[in-house]
This record gives sequence, C-alpha cells and structure tokens, in this order.
Amino acid sequence: MAEKDLRKGPGRWSDEGGVFILPDEWRLSYMVSCGELSPFFRALKEEGKLMGTRCPSCDSIYCPPRSWCHDCYEDTEWVEMSGKGELIAFTKGYFATSDLVDEVPFYQGGVRLEGARYPIVCRIKLDDEKNLRPGIPMRVEFKPPEERLGRVTDYYFVLDG
Amino acid sequence: MRKVAVVGYGNTPFKRRHIEKTYPRLAYEAVKEAFDSTGIRPERVDSVIYGIYSDPFNHNMMPDLHIHYQLGLARKPSTRVSAGGATGGIAVRSAFMEIASGMKDIVLVVGVEKYGDLSNVFEMIKALTFGGDQLFEQMAGVSPAGSYSAPVILHMLKYGTTEENLALVSVKNHANAMRNPDAQAPMEITVEEVLSSPMIIYPYKLLDHCLNSEGACALLLADEESARRLTDNPVWIKGIGCSTESGRQAERDNVGESLLPAVEAAAREAYAMAGVKDPVRDIQVAEVYDSFSGIEILLYEELGFCARGEGAACLEEGSYSMGGELPVNPSGGLIGGEHAVGATGVYQVAEIARQLQGEAGERQVKGAERGLALSLGGARGAYASATVLEVQDNG
Repeated sequence: MAEKDLRKGPGRWSDEGGVFILPDEWRLSYMVSCGELSPFFRALKEEGKLMGTRCPSCDSIYCPPRSWCHDCYEDTEWVEMSGKGELIAFTKGYFATSDLVDEVPFYQGGVRLEGARYPIVCRIKLDDEKNLRPGIPMRVEFKPPEERLGRVTDYYFVLDG
Repeated sequence: MRKVAVVGYGNTPFKRRHIEKTYPRLAYEAVKEAFDSTGIRPERVDSVIYGIYSDPFNHNMMPDLHIHYQLGLARKPSTRVSAGGATGGIAVRSAFMEIASGMKDIVLVVGVEKYGDLSNVFEMIKALTFGGDQLFEQMAGVSPAGSYSAPVILHMLKYGTTEENLALVSVKNHANAMRNPDAQAPMEITVEEVLSSPMIIYPYKLLDHCLNSEGACALLLADEESARRLTDNPVWIKGIGCSTESGRQAERDNVGESLLPAVEAAAREAYAMAGVKDPVRDIQVAEVYDSFSGIEILLYEELGFCARGEGAACLEEGSYSMGGELPVNPSGGLIGGEHAVGATGVYQVAEIARQLQGEAGERQVKGAERGLALSLGGARGAYASATVLEVQDNG
C-alpha cells in the first residue's frame, strides 16, 4: 500500500463491500526513557557489553536487568555478564514485522546467561540448525560499534564452540 | 458469597471482517440478542463489564465508553478489562465478583473486537508486539507466536509429540466448526493439508494458527433470586480461577513439569472452588484457548485431562473429539470458530452455557452437566482465566 494511502487522505467506497472507508493512522513518536536501566543500554552501545544486576541480599542475577529484586524488595547492583550461557528454548520464524523482515527466516530463543536467574529473549544466528537443542552452550556477539544503536537488536547469540 | 448464574447470552456471527459494521454496532447486536433471550431491558442492568483487548485494533482508547452510552446505559457503571486473550474470561470474573459480593444483581458482560481496520496483517502483528516488555521485547520485534512455539517445541523434544499431532488439533477444530453456524472457518481438511500449508513460525503452519476475527458476545449474569425469576434454566458459575506469569516470554519461576504454569494455577483455583476433583469424570465439555494447535495439546495436560506427555496420544484416540470422553472445543475453538480477542473468553462461557442447557444444536455434547472455559493472554499464557459452570443445581 502506498505511503500516502496511510495518511489522512480522502475517503472512498471500499472494494471489499458497500461501505465508505477513511484512511487514518495513529503515528506517535517517543523518546523512550530507559530510566534506571540506562546503564544496560549505554554499555551495549558504547562498550559492546551485556550488563546484568545482582541482588545484594539473595545474590540472584538478572539479565535482562531489574533494578530491584522482586523476592527481597532490595535495590540491585550492576554486574557485567560473561556473555556465555545455555540455550533454553528456540523457534524459527518465517514471517515477521518490519524490525525483522530482512532477516526471514530467523531464529529466536531464550538464553540463560551464566549465573542468571532467567533467560533473555534473543536472536540466534546459525550456520547449521541441526545441532539446535535446549542445553547447548551459546555466546553473545555484538554488531560492530558503528552499527550499534543501543537497542536489543545490537546483540545476538551464536553456538559457543 | 452469593451464587451467580448465566441467565442469557447473545453473539454476532464471527467473520474475518464485518466491514459493514462498526464495533459499537457489533456490541449492540450481541447485547440485543442477550436482552431478547431474557426479556431484560437496559434499565434492569445494574453494571457492565466490557472485554475489549486492543486500543490499536479498535482505533480507540476508551472503546467501552463509546459503546455504553449507545446501549442506553448512561450513568450506569462501565468497567473495561484488557488482558490479552484472557480479556473476556477476566471480564466474566469481574462481573461475577460484583454479583457474588452482593454489590449488584444483574451485570452485563460485553466482549467485542474489531481488528480489520488496520491496513494489513503486518500492522496487526505490530500492534500485538506492543504488549511485550517495553525495552527488551517490543524493540526486538518479538511477536506472541514465538512465545507459543517455544513450550510446544520443548514438549516435542521431551515427549516425542509430532507436527502431525499438532495438525490433528487443527483438523478436529475446523471440523467441529462445521456444526457451528456462527463459526468463521468451518472446513473439512486433512492432516496433510495442514502440514503443507505455509510455515509461519516453527512448528506452526498457517492452518495451525488461530483465526483473526471480528465480532461480539454478550452475557447476562444474575444473582440467584433474579436468576430464578428470569429463567427456568440458569447455568451456575461454580468456580473461577485467575493466574499470571511474567509478561516476559522467557521468564518462568518454579514451574516443575508445567509448560504453562499460570494455566495449571488458574485451573486448580477454579476446580477447588467448584469441587472438581477428577476433571475427566467431573467435566463433560470444555472450550479452551487453542491460539495455536500445539497449545491445545499442552492444555489437556495442564488442565488434568490426562497425564503429562499423554496429550497427543489421547487426542489421537479421539478422547477430545465429539463423541469422545471429554469433547474439547465443540464450537471450533479459536482455530475453527473465532478469535475476536475481547469476545473470545466471553463466547467460551456462552458456548458452555449453551451446552449445559442442551441448546447447542448440532454441536451438542449429550448429557453435559458441567463444563470448563479456559482462556490465556500475553506471551506464553502469562494471563490465565478458568471458569467452571454447571446445571446440576437445577433439579
């Protein structure tokens, strides 16, 4: 569909049925604050690192980071993750929205980083899918610095070894 | 806590597109049918709970308000529930609580959804991703389909469940829809046809997916005294369970063997409240959330219809088909019947009520006295709502 059709242009009779239709769109732009989780995104973009957080009370490590531990109700502290972990779950997508459309088919999964309490949802890049199964070792890779945006699409996981 | 009954219901047919109708009109048609079935008029309604899932779908942020006044309900309370695919189930729960608590006597539940004004399927899926974790999932373009793939892949690896098993759910539910005049996708198809439909996200082919529907369903709930006055055949809500999990797809705590822990918890709560001890013996019909074919197999196990790992084998034996020991999704479910998101959980309850009243026509499960409605929402069943209904008190 042409871009102009998505704007607030003139209405017309629909091809689908005898009704009048009006083109419209909800286009809102944001500057999303990463708030207290900002160190994760800064380290991702500027240093190519995955940061997590640790609860000083129970030692749970969170990546994706949480700024407080929901068991202890204590503020967490920043720690650097090793970038290595274990594949927990995966799938392969053949259909995608705009963010992923150039990469179809793509692999997506959950990797539990070393020491982390929960897996992190991530893209997986593979040469050969036949080894893909829960439990295999994975490691993070980052896009080169000049391509990094500070977004979660800056990193992906590959088979480790 | 007071007893609560379903005393009336109504729904539109479900279609991919009701282009000739706005969402308030869809809601009105369902409500009118529910009113006509009981003789209730708007002035008798004490309160309304709306199940409407998505602001981007319906192109409005307060859609309940724009329906409510046009239903002639000005100055009566309107509450909107939005909880992904569990929206309708949780809307029923909210209405139940208003009556059970003694606060209100007659409460209307309206589930409605219109997604098809979005220009194309990519816009629709983009709107779905807005429910994901703001920083870590939305911006990765992660869709709910992936979250409903992962637990099924784990089930396949652990128990040997196959893509053919998954396809059989689609075959069953599309065939059931043949006996439901309001269903969107009645089809006689084969396992081979499901397997050869386009792969969308492993292990799901196009025909393993639920439908996208437009439509509405209304339910009238009442306290015991009002119910006895309004109908000879009330259907009692005997148990309601509601549970949640992390909204992030991968995060799950202490799940043991469960692949959809919120479902197990919601069912346990509803069963305890309703006195269901052995689901296969105590429940005769179920409408469950087959968002994807494989999820229905997981649900047999989470709901206690069979042991862990036996879901696919019991399906193949016909246990959950019409005529089996516990027919699941006689309406066609979300795969063959409808998935007008906010309406789905409401329609599941209406379908069970129809079954228990013996009013389900060609899709009637003979002798059903107790039934279960189960809906899920969010990534990997992060919301779960379970409702047990029965007619056994009517003797």
